Amino acid sequence: MSTVQIRDVRKSYGAHPVLHGVDIDIADGEFVILVGPSGCGKSTLLRMVAGLESITGGTISIDERVVNGLEPKDRDIAMVFQNYALYPQMTVAQNMGFALELAGARKEEIKRKVDHAAGILGLEPLLQRKPAQLSGGQRQRVAMGRAIVRDPKVFLFDEPLSNLDAKLRVKMRAEIKALHQRLKTTIVYVTHDQIEAMTMADKIVVMQGGHIEQIGTPLELYDHPKNVFVAGFLGSPAMNFLDGVIIGEDGSFLELGGAGRVPLANGYRNADGKSVIVGVRPEDIGIAEANGIPAEVIVVEPTGSETHLAVRLGGQEIIVVLRSRVSLAPGEQVHLSFEGARFHVFDKETQERLQR
Amino acid sequence: MTMMSASIHANTLEKPQRDWVLVALWATLALVALIWVAPFVFIVFTSLKSNAAVMSSSAFAPPVDPKFANYSGAWDRGRFNTTFFNSVIITAIKVPLGLFISAMAAYALAKIEFAGRKMLLLAILFGTMIPFQVMLAPLFTLVNGLHLIDTYPGVILPYLAFGIPYQVFILQSFFRGIPKELSEAARIDGASHFVIFRRIFLPVSLPVLAALLILDFVSTWNEFAMALVLLQDRDMWTLPLGLSAFQGQFSRDYGQLNAAIVMTVLPAAIVYLIFQRYFVSGLTSGAVKG
Ligand SMILES: Nc1ncnc2c1ncn2[C@@H]1O[C@H](COP(=O)(O)OP(=O)(O)OP(=O)(O)O)[C@@H](O)[C@H]1O
Ligand SMILES: [Mg+2]
Repeated sequence: MSTVQIRDVRKSYGAHPVLHGVDIDIADGEFVILVGPSGCGKSTLLRMVAGLESITGGTISIDERVVNGLEPKDRDIAMVFQNYALYPQMTVAQNMGFALELAGARKEEIKRKVDHAAGILGLEPLLQRKPAQLSGGQRQRVAMGRAIVRDPKVFLFDEPLSNLDAKLRVKMRAEIKALHQRLKTTIVYVTHDQIEAMTMADKIVVMQGGHIEQIGTPLELYDHPKNVFVAGFLGSPAMNFLDGVIIGEDGSFLELGGAGRVPLANGYRNADGKSVIVGVRPEDIGIAEANGIPAEVIVVEPTGSETHLAVRLGGQEIIVVLRSRVSLAPGEQVHLSFEGARFHVFDKETQERLQR
Repeated sequence: MTMMSASIHANTLEKPQRDWVLVALWATLALVALIWVAPFVFIVFTSLKSNAAVMSSSAFAPPVDPKFANYSGAWDRGRFNTTFFNSVIITAIKVPLGLFISAMAAYALAKIEFAGRKMLLLAILFGTMIPFQVMLAPLFTLVNGLHLIDTYPGVILPYLAFGIPYQVFILQSFFRGIPKELSEAARIDGASHFVIFRRIFLPVSLPVLAALLILDFVSTWNEFAMALVLLQDRDMWTLPLGLSAFQGQFSRDYGQLNAAIVMTVLPAAIVYLIFQRYFVSGLTSGAVKG
């Protein structure tokens, strides 16, 4: 049992508020990822859970025990920093065993636990090296090893992969996920990389400007974003946004950016003539033979498995992802098919998802 | 192919140019080293000559018939038994103690938030700006008032007072440069401030500590003015005081005088040689990636 509860947590630096009341419930063994643009307060929140930052308002509980006033070491957490923060003068083994040593564990016990963690992470051959003699990926792994050795209630990760190159990042992503499945320890993980969030999380918390925008599983957020911000944040290439108007008594048609009309599967009642923002994912759009909405091709980007098209629809540019190869050239006219497309309709004023 | 030959061509064109700069640098360095070493050579050579040989031979001529007796003579005449002993006691206590106090103060000033921290730092900075010569008279009055004239604490305490501020200042700015994640990781691992200080900061700061230790050793070992004021009893004299008496009180025996100088300087050179190996740069490398 190791749950984390964050209740109306606030943080100000002096008079400058950074977090404006955040609520998150984290279940035992859950892998929760905090995402959001730079400066939205992710690290601050994580550091408050760790006990490195004071709590201005609200409560944080670990295992139903309020930890607001506790020192980091008394919270039974382990943290992996973005820049690893390895002790430079100690060997890998000493780095990993430092917490146990300070807790007064016996030598044999420290060695057993360090060896065990090193085995999990494939660090055995490196145990006697100093951090300066390791590659970036290896340092990253040692930082994780230091956390694993302590067998804490909660792992806290602050952008652990952002200093690695793209290839290694993908590899470590899989490793961290496998590690979680093996250890089943609760994880709170901060990143601003939405792909990391989508691929690893059980639950994603999308933050912006010190607020939570939405909490849910990756697919919930992908399929039912609550507002324009969340819709645009998750997914790559990002969701297309078009200006639109709802048409009809039962709101069953959408006028798309003055370029054409598409039917809606479920209508919006009493919304005739309402201005909306229409979100469509690039992969939900196809190319039709004839009777689609006309658009002009601007850029064609074959990636091998997919083809990315930038097209001009009415006055707006959108991205289309096709699973097939097409022979199109810039300047050509195509017809876009929105058949079976999932439209995300947002109120133009509030930017919130429109309720049916 | 053409690109390769072009780059080779460029290399051969560039190389002599770069070499000339190097040659000039080496030549300059050698010259500077020569100027630097010359007095030392002079002193060592002279310390091994008899007075007659000093007068008759060139200063840089090696001694023909080395007179090692100069050293034992100087040792007795300079009362080195007493002064060497006093210098060792004072330096051996003052230097490590001062550095330790400075490091702890610097850690507190750099890494612990408390009210009045900035003011305290300013006050310490102010301490580095007062030349001690200005303070000699009041210092004498103070130490005299405490009945500490002619005692070890009577010199060690003022030495500490004048040595600590600049060490604190240098160390605290170095400590500030140590990534905060390092101490945060240690805090999460369960380390107290003292453990963080001793297990993380001190090892990481070895190069700076070694540099400060050498500087402080040399300046304490050679300190003259304060010792002159605070130590009146000849049995409490330090080496530099003994050395000065040498010149005034005895006939001009240059050989012995220079032997005394060599013996005075030697410990500083040895300390330098011992600690210079800690001058390795980049001790924090590998700690963080930034
Ligand atoms: N010590 C501090 N004093 C004042 N303001 C701070 C301090 N630390 C952070 N902030 C502010 O708090 C806000 C949130 O910072 P935080 O580090 O949590 O952002 P983040 O979401 O982790 O961003 P990033 O993705 O860039 O790491 C920022 O606007 C930042 O300027
Ligand atoms: Mg951050």
